[in-house]
Amino acid sequence: MKSILALMLLFPLTGAVFQALFGRKVARRVSEAAACLAVGGSFMLALAAFILGWGATFTLSFFEWIAVDSFRVAADVLFNPLSALMALMVTFVSTIIHIYSVGYMHEDRDYTRYFCYLNIFVFSMLIIALADNLVFLFVGWEGVGFCSYVLIGFWYSDIPRATAGRKAFLLTRIGDVAFGIAIGLFFARFNSTAISFINAHAAELDAGAATIFGLLLLWSAMGKSAQLPLTVWLPDAMAGPTPVSALIHAATMVTAGVYLLMRLYPVLSLSSTAMAAVAGVGMVTALYAALSALGQRDIKKVLAYSTISQLGYMFVAIGAGDIIGSMAFLLSHAFYKSLLFLCAGCILHALHEQGDIFMMGGLKAYMPKVFWVFLAGALSLAAIPATGGFWNKDRLLLAILNNPGDFFNLIWLGALAASFLTSLYTFRLFFAVFAKPVGLAVEEVRPIPRIMTDTLWPLAFLGLTAGYLNLSPEWGGDEWLAGYLAHVQGAIEHIGADPALESQTALYDSALALAGVAVAYMLHGPREFFSFRQLVEWFRAASGAALAGFYLDRFYTVMIARPYKKLSELLWVYADEKMLDGGIVGSGRTLPEFASVLRLWTTGRISTYLGMLFLGFAALACGLAISFYVAF
Amino acid sequence: MLTVIIFLPFAGAIAALALWREPKMCRRMSLCVALADLLLVTSLFFAALRPCPAGSWLLLEDHSWIESLNVRYSLGLDGISLLLVLLTALLGVLSILVSWKQIDEKVGLFHFFLLSMQAGVMGVFLATDLFLFYLFWELQIIPMFFIIGIWGHAERIFATVKFVMFSIAGSLLMLVALVSLYILHGQATGHYTFSLFMLTGFPMSKTAELLIFSAFLLAFAIKIPVFPVHTWLPDAHTEAPTAGSVILAGLLLKTGAYAVLRFAFPLFPNAAFASVPFLIAVGLIGLFYASWIAFAQRDMKRLVAYSSIAHMGLIVIGLAVWNRITVSGAVLQMINHGITTSALFILVGMLDERTRTRDLSEMGGIWTRMPIFSAFFLLFAMSSIGLPGLNNFIGEILILAGAFATHPGAAVIAFGGMVVTLVYILRLVQETLYGVPRREFAEMCDLSGREAAILVPLALAVLAIGFYPGPVLDLLQGPIHSIVGVGVGRMAALP
Repeated sequence: MKSILALMLLFPLTGAVFQALFGRKVARRVSEAAACLAVGGSFMLALAAFILGWGATFTLSFFEWIAVDSFRVAADVLFNPLSALMALMVTFVSTIIHIYSVGYMHEDRDYTRYFCYLNIFVFSMLIIALADNLVFLFVGWEGVGFCSYVLIGFWYSDIPRATAGRKAFLLTRIGDVAFGIAIGLFFARFNSTAISFINAHAAELDAGAATIFGLLLLWSAMGKSAQLPLTVWLPDAMAGPTPVSALIHAATMVTAGVYLLMRLYPVLSLSSTAMAAVAGVGMVTALYAALSALGQRDIKKVLAYSTISQLGYMFVAIGAGDIIGSMAFLLSHAFYKSLLFLCAGCILHALHEQGDIFMMGGLKAYMPKVFWVFLAGALSLAAIPATGGFWNKDRLLLAILNNPGDFFNLIWLGALAASFLTSLYTFRLFFAVFAKPVGLAVEEVRPIPRIMTDTLWPLAFLGLTAGYLNLSPEWGGDEWLAGYLAHVQGAIEHIGADPALESQTALYDSALALAGVAVAYMLHGPREFFSFRQLVEWFRAASGAALAGFYLDRFYTVMIARPYKKLSELLWVYADEKMLDGGIVGSGRTLPEFASVLRLWTTGRISTYLGMLFLGFAALACGLAISFYVAF
Repeated sequence: MLTVIIFLPFAGAIAALALWREPKMCRRMSLCVALADLLLVTSLFFAALRPCPAGSWLLLEDHSWIESLNVRYSLGLDGISLLLVLLTALLGVLSILVSWKQIDEKVGLFHFFLLSMQAGVMGVFLATDLFLFYLFWELQIIPMFFIIGIWGHAERIFATVKFVMFSIAGSLLMLVALVSLYILHGQATGHYTFSLFMLTGFPMSKTAELLIFSAFLLAFAIKIPVFPVHTWLPDAHTEAPTAGSVILAGLLLKTGAYAVLRFAFPLFPNAAFASVPFLIAVGLIGLFYASWIAFAQRDMKRLVAYSSIAHMGLIVIGLAVWNRITVSGAVLQMINHGITTSALFILVGMLDERTRTRDLSEMGGIWTRMPIFSAFFLLFAMSSIGLPGLNNFIGEILILAGAFATHPGAAVIAFGGMVVTLVYILRLVQETLYGVPRREFAEMCDLSGREAAILVPLALAVLAIGFYPGPVLDLLQGPIHSIVGVGVGRMAALP
C-alpha cells in the first residue's frame, strides 16, 4: 500500500520534472503523452488504492521531513474512505482534462510549460487529499495556489491575465495565513500537527479553543474555496486556459477548502458557533454568487459564479453537520461543473474565444455533441428532479432541517431560494447559448478537435448519475456512498428525517428548480414571452450590479489595494528617505540654539547620514532602555 | 584545518594582487583558490554529517597570541559555524564567477578585496576569542568599502561612505563594550581574558550587564540591519557591483545575526532576556515596514534589498524568542536567505548586464526572451515568499510555529508577513517576466554556460533544503542545544 500511495504522488511529480528538464527537447507527441501518462498512471494507482484499501483507515509515513526538538513533521498519509475518494476523483478528472488539453493546446507552442504546471498541480492536489500532517498538507495547499497563479496567468503577455493570476494568489494566501496560524496553534496546543492525532484528541479542547480553531479553519477554507468575503479572485481566474478553469477552479482546488473542513470535522464540530458560521458563510455566498451569476454575460464567468455558489452549498452541508452530504455534493459538482467548463472550452474554441453568451445562440445546430453533454451538466447543476444533482440537494435540505433553531430554518429558506436562482441562471445560460438563434454564419464556427468532444462523455455520465450513489432508502436506493464513508470520524450515515418532511422537501425543491427553468425559458428562450418593457428595464438595472459582482471587487481595490500602494510610496519617500533627514533639519529650524550646533554638520549628504545614524541609534537605545525598565 | 580555511582565501588575495597585470590569470587563480576552499569545507560538512560524538564543537584551535593582553588565537567550529562557513565558501566561488565579465578594471585589486573579505567573514564565523572576532569583524568592512567605492554604480561614493559610517559606529561601540567587559572580568577574577568560554557565565552587576549588552546589540543591530538603523543597506546594495551585493546580503548581514546568537545572548543572558520584547517588536516592524516599502520600489536591486531587511526581521524574531525550535529556524533562515537573496541579486545583475537598466518600468516580457532565466527567477522568487517545498518555508515555519508557545500574539502578526511578502514579490515577477516582450530586448540571449553554472548550485540548494532539510537541521541541534540550553537555564533563574 505504501508503495502504491508513494507512486501515486511520484507519477505527476516525475511528469513535471520531465517536462521541465526534457519537455522542450523531445517531440511534441512525446511530451503530451508523458503528461497524460503521468496523471493516468496516478489514476490507476488511485483506483488500486481505492479498491485495496476499501473502507480502511490507517496512517503511514514516507519519511521524516522536519524534525527539531518537539516539532516533528513527517511526509505522511492519513488514508481513509474520504481521502481515497478524493484522490480518485482528483486523478480521474485530471486525466480527462489532460487528454482534453492535448486538443485544446494544439495550437499553443508553450505546451511544455503548461503540462509541467498541470502535473505539479495534480501532485499538490494529491498531497492535500492524502496528507496527515498539516504542515505536509500545507505543501499541497500552497502548491495548488502557486499552480493556480501561474496557470491563470499562463498567457502572461496579456497583462490583465497575469494580474488575475496575481490576484488569485494574493487572496487565497490571505486565507492561507489562517491556515498557518492554525498550524502554530495546533502545535502549541497538541504538540503535534498530525490530523489523525488532532482528531483523536479533539475532545480535550474546551469550547472557546474549539471555536477559535473552527473559525481559523473556516477562514483558511474561505480563501481556497472563494467564499465571501474572499470571492473576488475566482471570476477573474477565468482568464486562464479553459481546461485550467475546469480542473482547478471548478473540480479540485476550490474544493480543497471544503475538504479541509471535512478532514478536521471532529475539531470543527465541537463548536456550534463555528458550525453556524460555516453554514452562514456558505449560505450568504451561495445566494450572493447565484445572483451575480444571473447578471454575467461571459460564459465562463457565469460558470465561475456558479462554482462559488455551489461551494457555498457544500459549506452549508458541513455547517449542518453532514460531511457525507457535502462530499457527495463535492463529487457530483466536480463532474458536472468540469464538464460544463470543458463544453465552454469547446464553444470558445469554435467561436474564436468570443465568450459573450448573448452573441451566441442557436449553437445546437453547429455542435450537437456539445449540446447534449452540456444539457446533461446543466440538468444536474440545476438539480432538476431525477438527476444526480437533485438527490444531493435533497439530502442537503434535509440535513439543514435536522438542526434545531431559527438560524437553520433561515438557512433552509435561503437554500430553497438559491436552488430557484441556480436553475434560473443555469438555463438562462443554456437557452442563450443554444436556443435563441442569433444568426451565426457557418464559416465563423471553427471545427472542434474530436479529442475535445469525445472526452466529455464520461464526465456527462458521472455528472448525471453520481448523485444516485447516495440515493436514500426512501426513494429505493441504498445510500452506497454514505455506507462507504460511514466510518469517517463525525460522519452521519443516514439523515433520518420524517418521511412526510422528506417528500415535502423534495416537492418544494423540484417545484423551484422547474420554476427556474420556466422563467429562464420565458426570458431567454427561443420565443419572446415578455413584452413588459418596464420589467426588462428593471431587470437590466439589477443585472448591472450583479454583473459587477455587487461591486465587492471594486470596494477592495479602492479601500485596500490602492491605499496600500499609495502609502507604500509615501512611506518610502517620506519615512525612509526624508523623515530622518527632515527631522534633523526641521529641528534645526525650530530650535535656534540647537541649530547653530547642528548647522556645522547638517549640510551635505554625509551629515544627513550621520543624522540618520544618530536618530536610529537613539531610537534603538530608547527602545532597549524601555524594554529593560519593564523587565526589571 | 580552520586556519587553512580562513587563510587560504587570504593567500589567494595576496596572489591576486601579485597577478594584477594578468586579469585572466588572476580570475582563474582566484576561482581555483575559492574552489579549493569550498572543497575543504564541503568535505568537512560531509564528515560532520556522520553521527559524531557528543559535544557541540567539531573542531577547536587554540594558540596563545598576544601574551601581554592574554589575547588568544582561538577558533572553534560547530554545526552552526560549519553551515555558515559553507555558505561563505559557496558564495565566495559564485561571486568570483558573477564578476567574470562584469568587472574589467583593476581586476587584481578586486579579487584581492573579494578574497580577503571572504577570509574576514569566515574568521567572524569561527573566532571564539572576542578580540580576534573584533579583528575579523573589521576585516570584512574595509574590503567592502573599496568594492562598493571603486566598482560600484553611479552614486557609489556616497553609498560606501554611508555604509562605512554606520559600520564604524557599530564597531566603536563594540570595541568599548569589549574592553569594558575585559576589564570588568579581569578586576573581578584577576584573570584578564577575551575568551568566549571564560567570559560566559561571568556574573556582572545589573547596570554593567545592561550597558555592555546594549553596546554589543546596537553594533550587531546595524549589521543585521534592524529597523531603524537599516537605511545604509538599500543604498549600499543599489550601488554595489553584483558580487558586492551577494556578499553583503548573503554573508555580512548574517555576521550580525550570528554574533547575536553566539556572543550577545550567551554572554548576557539576563539583559538578553529583558530585551526580548523589544527585539520582537523591531523584528515585526522591520518585517512589515520593509515589505511595505519594497512594494513601492522601482529599482529591482532596491526592492530585493528591502526584502532582505524584511527577512532579517523574521530572523531577529526567531532569535529573540530563544527556544530550540525558533533558533534552529533562525539559523536555517540565515542560510536560506543567503542562498535565495544572493540568487535574486545575481539574477538582477545578469539582467542588468543585458538591458543596462534595473528600472522595473522598463522591464517586461522577459519570459519570452529568456525562458530559462525566467524559470530560475520564478523559482527563487517563490523561495523568497516561503512556498512550502522550498528552503525558506522550513525556516519560517520553525520560527513561527516555535514562537506560538510563548509569544502567540507576535507569531500571529508575523504570519501576516506571508501576505505582504507575496505582494512585492509578485509585483517584481510580473513587471519583469510578464507582459508584452519589448522590442529593445529582441536580441537578448538566454543564460550562458557560466551563468547557468552559477544558478544551478543555488537552485539545487533551494530544493534540497526544502525537500529534505533533515541533515542540515540535525547538524544544528547539538550547538543550539548547548547555547539555548545555557541561556534558558540562566534566564529562568531571574529574580
